[in-house]
Amino acid sequence: MIAAARNAATNFVDRLVRDHSGLVVGLIAVFLAVFIAGMATAPNFLTIFNFKTIIRDAALVGIMAIGLTFVTLSGNFFLLSMKETAALSIICFATSMAAGNGFEISFLLTMAIAVAVGAAQGALIGLGGNPIIVTLGAAGLLFGLGSWWSDNLVVSFRRPHGAEWLGTGSFLGLPNITIAFILIAIAAELALRHTAFGRQVYLIGANRAAGRATGHENFAMAIKVCIIASVCSAFVAIAFSAQVSSAHVNYFSSEFGSSGDMTIMVIATVMVGGNSIMGGYGSTLRSSLGAIFISTVDNMMVLHGFNSGPRVLAVGLMIVFSIIVFALARRGARAQE
Amino acid sequence: MQALLELNGINRSFGAIRALEQASFEIREGEVMGLVGENGAGKSTLVKIISGFDDGYDGEFKVDGVQVRFPTPARAEKSGIAIAQQELSLIPAMSVAENIFLAGDRVPLAATRKELARRARPYLEQVGIESVDPELAVNRLSVGEQQLVEVARLLAREPRVLILDEPTAALGESDSARILAMVRKLADSGKSIIYVSHRLDEIFKICGRITVLRDGHSQAPRKASEFDVHSLVESMLGRELENMFPTHTPVERDRPLLDVRGVWPDTTVEPFNFVVYPGEILGLAGQLGSGSGDVLAAVGGVGETREGTVELEGRTFMPKSAKEAIAAGIAYCSDDRKLDGLFLGRPVRENLTSPAIGRFSTYGLIRRVTERALAMSNAEKFTVDIARMSTEAGLLSGGNQQKVALGKWLAIEPRIILVNEPTRGVDVGARAEIYRKLREFADAGGAVVFASTDIQEITGLSDRIVTFYRGMQIGEIGLEDISAASVLEQITHPFGPAVDLAGVAE
Repeated sequence: MIAAARNAATNFVDRLVRDHSGLVVGLIAVFLAVFIAGMATAPNFLTIFNFKTIIRDAALVGIMAIGLTFVTLSGNFFLLSMKETAALSIICFATSMAAGNGFEISFLLTMAIAVAVGAAQGALIGLGGNPIIVTLGAAGLLFGLGSWWSDNLVVSFRRPHGAEWLGTGSFLGLPNITIAFILIAIAAELALRHTAFGRQVYLIGANRAAGRATGHENFAMAIKVCIIASVCSAFVAIAFSAQVSSAHVNYFSSEFGSSGDMTIMVIATVMVGGNSIMGGYGSTLRSSLGAIFISTVDNMMVLHGFNSGPRVLAVGLMIVFSIIVFALARRGARAQE
Repeated sequence: MQALLELNGINRSFGAIRALEQASFEIREGEVMGLVGENGAGKSTLVKIISGFDDGYDGEFKVDGVQVRFPTPARAEKSGIAIAQQELSLIPAMSVAENIFLAGDRVPLAATRKELARRARPYLEQVGIESVDPELAVNRLSVGEQQLVEVARLLAREPRVLILDEPTAALGESDSARILAMVRKLADSGKSIIYVSHRLDEIFKICGRITVLRDGHSQAPRKASEFDVHSLVESMLGRELENMFPTHTPVERDRPLLDVRGVWPDTTVEPFNFVVYPGEILGLAGQLGSGSGDVLAAVGGVGETREGTVELEGRTFMPKSAKEAIAAGIAYCSDDRKLDGLFLGRPVRENLTSPAIGRFSTYGLIRRVTERALAMSNAEKFTVDIARMSTEAGLLSGGNQQKVALGKWLAIEPRIILVNEPTRGVDVGARAEIYRKLREFADAGGAVVFASTDIQEITGLSDRIVTFYRGMQIGEIGLEDISAASVLEQITHPFGPAVDLAGVAE
């Protein structure tokens, strides 16, 4: 076992040296140096409690990023309506909870709306609409609806309520939302690797015309992946609402994560994971790791006392960095064949 | 006579792969030198070194007897070496003249359109398209004319050596003839031309000498007259090629397998009717734009049609999508594998099983073992290297890519295979294999309908030929009447006396 691991490690180093330019290796080395120095010097970084915090912080963005990854892998680019879908969902859920409906009914109602919202966007994209334009339009529409519905006010519902287990509960010392993140990450990765649907995601993403020619239409695919992304958004909205027992349309615009804007954070996560923007190459596992990675850097910076400006800058740098490294690395690997 | 270009002992490796090993090459003033070899023999590498795109070699490179080294294409151009690559680099929306002077370094900064057009004309004349208006946008020209404009642009830089890399790969017979005429004209005016092509008939028509590359090794250039097609192919392969085309097996024509009735693609003048019998390979002959490829796309469920139906095994229908066609047992392989034939970024295995995912999944779950077995058996049938199943399809050579693009259709166990240009950009060895596989498929009771602009292929592979001309169906030629002349007459001048075909026919 250990021998095998060592073997794999030397193989990895060999391949790294053989396949990649000095630039890539250099970039990674510089990055690792900064990363390790940061970890070593940050107070309380290397505690189990802190690691749990990192993963919990990664969970909400991570779940949405997993959903969005399906869209990206299938070659349908990004949904710019991720946070607005979450905004409408959170208003829907909280309003329903406040009206005295139980968790189950509120959950199903919210999910039903998310499915409809996703299917509508997917259908438009599948018919040939530009994903950017369609989802930018949808974003305005969904946000407007949520704002109108809630009168732009905070909707709160009283504790104790039936959603606390999801928002603040834990199991065996792990927050339930962390467990949900891990389960969703595993399920998504298995679906991509082992189902016919997952295969179609990759094929259509790799070459839409060839997909059509081999009987895999993007129309059905666009609807499915947009539903997945929307449902993930809605799930995150519900979990967040359950945590704070309230909702406001702006929750995902201003108060979220270091960069403040959930859509941007989610797209950043997909990019940092090294998924191809053009589709056909990548995985949800990459997005999950991307989320944890961003969260780690953010956590480190918080512990070092940076405020939000530099932290937003760091996310930007990570995107640029990962795009360059992944692009060069892939080119290196291909040139060898 | 001193060589204009001379390369000696050139070595070039990419990682563990030796693309060129002690290769030599030379060309004299005013000579047309053919450069041939299978895919992967090192032609592109050699051409890249000569034109300054690749500087990572070692060996001796002399121009006019003086040692040189070109770190960039611009430096090669200064020494009078210009290359026309396979992919056109024209800007479609700009005029012919603007494209010719795109670099802008040989014309006044503020030249008017008229002035540019005036200056462009002599170059158009040199390539034999003086009739083309230099102020016309390039996207209004035929592909062949565009190819000639590309060469005209190179001529505007007054090169001494011109490299043409597969200039006719995407062209029909008559456009190809124009390219050949141009090459002769340029050579007569003293230019040296390196002509790279898979079309051996062209090589024999225009080249004075031929350099053969095989597995990165070069052979000393020999006069074209010392070769015939057979011996040239042999020296390219390093072994004897049995017949390029498999032998015909007699076809029993009592009940058609596929009956195409009045299928009218949007792009053609009239609806088409033809039948194909089990065990038969039907060739659709026609030049680019003749409609022969469009009708295949239509039957494959990919093209737009006005009307028409097909009858396959007693069922009459018209596939509206590839999905429907596949469900009916019709496989359609387009002429552009990069566009819609392959998933270049995905592994070969996934490509080979892509049309048949349903066949190896239960309740939506992929059964890996079954998939692997299916991919393996198809790979073996089409002699795709099974060690490369996990390689990205985009990294295979053109010939192997085409085998995968075609071979994937075996996964659906089709009743009929429709294929447009079965061997475009494929080397001789792989071509012979593809022909053999199509014949085997037909012999097993299937049927093949293929469209091609390659006369050799049409006459050699078909059991029967249907001819097309400018969107019209012209006639039918039975096996005993098949000849290059009979086909060419129908696809080039169906309504008039056959004029001089000597330039294109064997």
